[in-house]
Amino acid sequence: MAEEFAEGTIRVSGAGIRYKRNRASRRSFKDLFAGRTRRTRPGEFWALRGVDFEVAPGEAIGVVGRNGQGKSTLLKLVAQVVYPDEGTVAVHGGVAPLIEITGGFVNDLSVRDNVYLTAGLHGMTKHEIDQRFDEILEFAEIGDFVDTPYKHLSSGMKVRIAFAVVSRLEEPIILVDEVLAVGDKAFREKCYTRIEELLAGGRTLFFVSHSERDLLRFCTRGLYLDKGALVLDAPIREVVDRYNADYGV
Amino acid sequence: MTSAALSRREWSPFTRYRRSLWLLTTRDLKVRYSTSFLGYFWSILDPLVMAGIYWFVFTVVFGRGVGHEPYIVFLLAGLLPWMWFTGAVSDCTRAFTREAKLIRSTTIPRTIWVTRLVLSKGIEFVASIPVIAIFAIGTLIWSKTPAVLHWEVLWTIPAILLQAVLITGIGLIVAPLVVFFRDLERAVKLILRFAFYASPIIYGLGDLPEQLRWVAALNPLAGIFGMYRAAFFPQELDLFAILISTGVSLALLGIGLAVFSRTIRTVLKEI
Repeated sequence: MAEEFAEGTIRVSGAGIRYKRNRASRRSFKDLFAGRTRRTRPGEFWALRGVDFEVAPGEAIGVVGRNGQGKSTLLKLVAQVVYPDEGTVAVHGGVAPLIEITGGFVNDLSVRDNVYLTAGLHGMTKHEIDQRFDEILEFAEIGDFVDTPYKHLSSGMKVRIAFAVVSRLEEPIILVDEVLAVGDKAFREKCYTRIEELLAGGRTLFFVSHSERDLLRFCTRGLYLDKGALVLDAPIREVVDRYNADYGV
Repeated sequence: MTSAALSRREWSPFTRYRRSLWLLTTRDLKVRYSTSFLGYFWSILDPLVMAGIYWFVFTVVFGRGVGHEPYIVFLLAGLLPWMWFTGAVSDCTRAFTREAKLIRSTTIPRTIWVTRLVLSKGIEFVASIPVIAIFAIGTLIWSKTPAVLHWEVLWTIPAILLQAVLITGIGLIVAPLVVFFRDLERAVKLILRFAFYASPIIYGLGDLPEQLRWVAALNPLAGIFGMYRAAFFPQELDLFAILISTGVSLALLGIGLAVFSRTIRTVLKEI
């Protein structure tokens, strides 16, 4: 990227990614080493194709679509945990991915070790974690369990501590993928307040949800994905209305 | 807040790599040693039991025809680095599958999933070196031909580096391929078992018939194990084998990097 663009910008142009429909489909060594320009083979499908959009710093984007239309894939592309087979995804600045947030946690280690590990892998220094440690535990409401092995926490606690860590990352872009479906109502409300704080702090938000209320609450702009293509890129109200018109109850 | 974000952006890719690698390596060691009471002991018990068996078989049952006196030190100097090799390579077959969830949620440089295994097994190997020292000192007491430490012990350092290069190269090839060909996991186990006897561990290069010796030297482990053994048995140092080891290890690292970078996109989609 020769051109300068501001921290928190996301630029997706002509992005496409294909997956195998069938895990067991025949695979050859030739396939494996083939470059990314090779043609589509039977048994493969494009989870996303020809997606173009640009996000300015501080924008709050809601991604709308039915199950299996490419929402999570788009988030993974922006998080750069997978790469597009065609086109480019340029993300300027770090990403705090609230996707599979409990993924980095190790069952056998204590909550304390896990906090240092996960925050460290996302780029925080030990000193930064020291400073935020109490804040993180307080947010997760598990102060008494700080030396308990992670596996002994309840599933609600696990999500709480994971959310508390990842949402403390000082990254300009936040990705939220329906993680908040877990947890009780009070904690969910707390998470939402935290997201609003982050938004007020000028972060770029990427939000995937099926809840119309949540989408309208956080987002200003919507991306409507259908059959792996970006169908509509408009203000969130318009996108939600269109989605309801297409698949409404 | 801004200062914290700034400091992170100033990190060079190297610093980021080193930090993430160290975090994951210490995590592995912590998990291993915090879950079992005898942590460190277990990691050296396996080679000790094996060394005990081979020592018994080859010195008491058959009468030693291979290696040098004291045979137990000779054995351990080959067995301990072998444990590093076999442990890291077989762990590499699960490098992606075991950590799939974590790999799907972080963007740290992907080769770390291999290098962290090489490093954590390497640290265990270094931690097990005192065992050789204990046996070497022991032979002063009970053996008529005690182990004598020579200046060639300095070869240990290039040996460790070379072995790390070799294992990283193999790991970079094996780890992504296993994601596509699950059978490879079992194949690797079988090959490792074969490689144990094909490498100079229970014997030395010099014990082989002349015409087989150069074939055995093609095995990159031959030169490396010779370098370790040179500490007590300078005659085991074989410059020809070391040259081949270096060449093969560097070539494997090159191939590994190529394979890894060509396949990583597909790996990330598959896991």
